Amino acid sequence: MESNIIMFPSVTFAMKGRNILIKNKINSNIIRTPMHLRNKSCGYSLYVGRNINDALEILRSNGITILGTAAVDRL
Amino acid sequence: MIYFDNGATTFPKPKSVRVAVSNAISNFGANPGRSGHKMSLKSSEIIFKCRENAAKLFDIDTPEKIIFTLNCTEALNIVIKGILKSGDHAIISSLEHNAVVRPLEHLKASGIEYTVADVVPYNDDLTIDNFRNAIKDNTKIIICIHASNVFGVKLPIERIGALCKIYGILFCVDAAQTAGVVPISLKDSYIDYLCTAGHKGLYGPMGTGMLIVNSDILPESFVQGGTGTESANPRQPDSLPEKYESGTPNLPGIAGLNAGIKYILNKQVSNIANYEIRLAQILYDKLKQNDKVILFTSRPDLQHSVPVISFNIKGLDSEEVAGILDRRFNIAVRAGLHCAPFAHKSFGTLETGTVRAVISTFSAIEDINYFANAVKSITAAIK
Repeated sequence: MESNIIMFPSVTFAMKGRNILIKNKINSNIIRTPMHLRNKSCGYSLYVGRNINDALEILRSNGITILGTAAVDRL
Repeated sequence: MIYFDNGATTFPKPKSVRVAVSNAISNFGANPGRSGHKMSLKSSEIIFKCRENAAKLFDIDTPEKIIFTLNCTEALNIVIKGILKSGDHAIISSLEHNAVVRPLEHLKASGIEYTVADVVPYNDDLTIDNFRNAIKDNTKIIICIHASNVFGVKLPIERIGALCKIYGILFCVDAAQTAGVVPISLKDSYIDYLCTAGHKGLYGPMGTGMLIVNSDILPESFVQGGTGTESANPRQPDSLPEKYESGTPNLPGIAGLNAGIKYILNKQVSNIANYEIRLAQILYDKLKQNDKVILFTSRPDLQHSVPVISFNIKGLDSEEVAGILDRRFNIAVRAGLHCAPFAHKSFGTLETGTVRAVISTFSAIEDINYFANAVKSITAAIK
């Protein structure tokens, strides 16, 4: 299963990332990062579905801190 | 009541601020940044929007660098105590508030020293010379007020910032009296840390303030705790804004601050500055006609002033004047030393204090006329 969520260290970065993606016509939803993916931490993710590579490129080019990507079954 | 105590906190607040605070308590009061449910995300959304609007107001691209604090004093303490270490030297202006002076006095016991650079009102060249002459080999930071909370005199912060840049010194600005009152752009500025209250010119509720970190050099945090991030890590995160925001934030306050900042953005700071300075000039001119009124500054103007008028009445104590204005005329002003003894020492009013009237966007020409007539009545009764 391909990755469909992008993980962030905080809700601030998740929201900042979401707004940047909206400006680039990519929709996403903020979710709490699933516990098994958190590496004993906390955090929020953006569920971006199939556009993840485009989204990652945009976020990285805007200097957004990203913890990683993962695949989840559903929102 | 005719309210001219806007330098302490603005009143009234815009209706949108009152509604936002009420909404945050009534409709979505979940803890932000901790949980994943809808109400928690709604709370987080409001806080993030406030960061975005503050970033827009201060012309900075990075909302995560907006740190919410209790007030301007806490923001200044974070910078002062988080930057300075034993053996370091700081420079402050002669118009500083106790929010800057007292933390530095406290740090003297830790081997930190500071020098006061005299501000020469309306002579920026001499003021800059005084700051330059105070620089030592171990000067780490210059901390200065953007405009005096007592006399309304603005400091040449662009030039002081440039001086800091030349000498490799950090620059912290106390914008308690100027945020929302005069335009401030952090883009291309030399300000490393901007500290401000949320409840004054930004029209938020009391209990709100901001530190805006415009530097890669991060002060150490002096409050550590839960941030909703990196929870398994016993060490405080270094990421912004979490490094400085431990514990549950003041959601109703920040929701109100967000509405206050939107109010300012809609009105536009330059329009506010024009309106308030015009009223301050009218008040100044009316008081100037009264030979029993002592004024301490030149006529306010956009370049040199914020809309603060400080005065005394010959033969009366400043607190007595404020008391009469309150009891007989239902006018609210602040008298005394305004937590700024250095500024009063500079202007020769340390023994007497002054009466201070500060204009807000809600002040009207009728209020100015009423105020001037009230002062006239008081002075007419003096023999």
